[in-house]
Amino acid sequence: MSAFTDRADAALADRILKVAVERTAGTAEAKRAVAVQAFPDFEAARDRAAAIKDHVVAHLGAYLEQFEANAIAAGAKVHWASTADEACQIVIDICKQANARTVARSKSMLGEEIGLPHALAEAGIGRVETDLAEHIIQLADERPSHIIWPAMHKTREQVSALFKAKHRTPHEEETIAAMAESARRELRSQMLGADVGISGANFLIADTGAICTVTNEGNAELSLVPPRVHIVTAGIEKIVPSMPHAIHMLRMLARSATGAALTQYTTFYTGPKRPGDRDGPEEMHIVLVDNGRTKMREEGLAEMLRCIRCGACMNHCVVFRQIGGHAYGGTYPGPMGAVLTPAFDGLKANRDLPNACTLNGKCQEVCPVRIPLPTLLKGWREKSWREGLEPTSMRWGLGIWAFVARRPGLYRFGTGIAVRAMQLLGKQGWIGKLPLADGWTRYRDMPKPAAQTFMTQYKKERRK
Amino acid sequence: MNSRDAILARLKGTAPNRAEADTLLIAPERPAVDESALEAEFLARLALPSVSATHDSIDSLTDLPAAVARYLEGQKESLALCLPPDPRLQSCDWTGFALHGTAAPDEAAALAIARKGIAETGSLVFETSPATPMLPNFLTLHHIVLLAVSDIAPYLEDAPLPGAQPRAHYWITGVSGTTDIEGTYVRGAHGPRFLHVILLRQ
Repeated sequence: MSAFTDRADAALADRILKVAVERTAGTAEAKRAVAVQAFPDFEAARDRAAAIKDHVVAHLGAYLEQFEANAIAAGAKVHWASTADEACQIVIDICKQANARTVARSKSMLGEEIGLPHALAEAGIGRVETDLAEHIIQLADERPSHIIWPAMHKTREQVSALFKAKHRTPHEEETIAAMAESARRELRSQMLGADVGISGANFLIADTGAICTVTNEGNAELSLVPPRVHIVTAGIEKIVPSMPHAIHMLRMLARSATGAALTQYTTFYTGPKRPGDRDGPEEMHIVLVDNGRTKMREEGLAEMLRCIRCGACMNHCVVFRQIGGHAYGGTYPGPMGAVLTPAFDGLKANRDLPNACTLNGKCQEVCPVRIPLPTLLKGWREKSWREGLEPTSMRWGLGIWAFVARRPGLYRFGTGIAVRAMQLLGKQGWIGKLPLADGWTRYRDMPKPAAQTFMTQYKKERRK
Repeated sequence: MNSRDAILARLKGTAPNRAEADTLLIAPERPAVDESALEAEFLARLALPSVSATHDSIDSLTDLPAAVARYLEGQKESLALCLPPDPRLQSCDWTGFALHGTAAPDEAAALAIARKGIAETGSLVFETSPATPMLPNFLTLHHIVLLAVSDIAPYLEDAPLPGAQPRAHYWITGVSGTTDIEGTYVRGAHGPRFLHVILLRQ
């Protein structure tokens, strides 16, 4: 048993988790369908979104230089990090230089990917997560289980208990609105009092040097406008050539993620506070993070760099809907996570992830940038085989099967015996217990096969 | 080699072809907007559950304080308001109001002028400047916005001004909301719970 199968087993046995995941992912799936229905050109728009991202990835270096020059001209400082550790170190150094005691963080999956929450804790810097879901998992000391709804795995009852234990003046009424109000009371003063605001970026606009954030809560703006310093950590693939390109991608992002035409708050920040401005940070730092992306581009995963982190693939994934996000073990769950995690954390430890997929193709059908996720997952399976990472039992089993399959006489002899044996095991069309495969029959019966093999019946028919 | 040079060396990029980038924007797919009825289109989006803003209209800027008072009284709020140092707003007669130049953490209402309204989404477009601070629009429970009908444009592409960008350019499309607990929508997560648009027909 691997770590993944252990986690998946535990998740499958967790009835509360299944209810929680189904409540949010089910709603998201239904709302996206309505939004797509209302946008008749959505399929053509997906082609365009994919073409925009492919253009950017093909010219990534030049666009990054253009973005850097424009961001610097607007007064921002631009930093570059090859690795996750380097990115964290840059952020910590900026915080220390600003004598920061507390930072307000607006949800960023890149921040999770590079381990920023842990790095801030190690540096002794207080962290306030301002997205409601990130606040919930910070209080619970857990990791996000979804890239759009990080606390998807929690039911309202669990959130209620958590807030009652940790909030200074918690809610009294057992409603979701009252719980959100409790978080509002708790977080407001902490946001307004932070020394540094940290965000990711949904888009980096090359021809203006602006960074774009989208939220429905407005927590990004409340976290990033009051503090003296704003730090942005962004993956290098977040570049788009111009604002109209970003607008096309924004139309795809909100519809795919939540089923809305647009998020409630969409902000483009270009540099720090200007002379005479009443609010805004005095310093703006942008950390451009590689962390394996240039390698993905070189090694056959360039299409994955199209990803705009909408979460549609996981909302529609039959596997994710059964096991939730934590079972995947990485920062990113679901189909996109099963492609990304082996790239970030190594294939050897994560070879189960590309196999935790039925290849039903649903993720590819809903992806706003048409990432061929099933093909990329099969690519990892092939690589795992070539590199000898599959367990011995699997290699032996497949080797024996290949030997027999190439010898039709032997194959028919074997299947003939198997079919007769299974006839003896079964009762009234079903087999209750199958030797060597009792895992399969532990919770369900196996349908009894036909009395004779296909070839036997075929020959009999031809003789007639 | 520092990380900047190392990353750029790994990308070995060719210069982006601006014409190719522009070709990608020819006739972009977007939701249909009836450009002959922009106000009606804008108001229809404003009323959607996802935006859920209320609206009122006035014929002259001098009617603005009365419209704001009408709204606040309807909401059972006192006539207290965070008013940005925008000369158009400052020129109105605010007798009877308690005006605040900056928003207190528990400020109830803020007024701002939207530079544009976008019919495609029901969005309000704002930009920062010394006369237009950003924070009050995210902090107060009631966000009241003045929008000239002549500033309603069809598509999101009409939102940004060409050329040099302001420190922040932002679109507000509804109120602060969250679906983070079981996907259930709650209004007023961190910021405004109510958005009220006053259309100026002048």
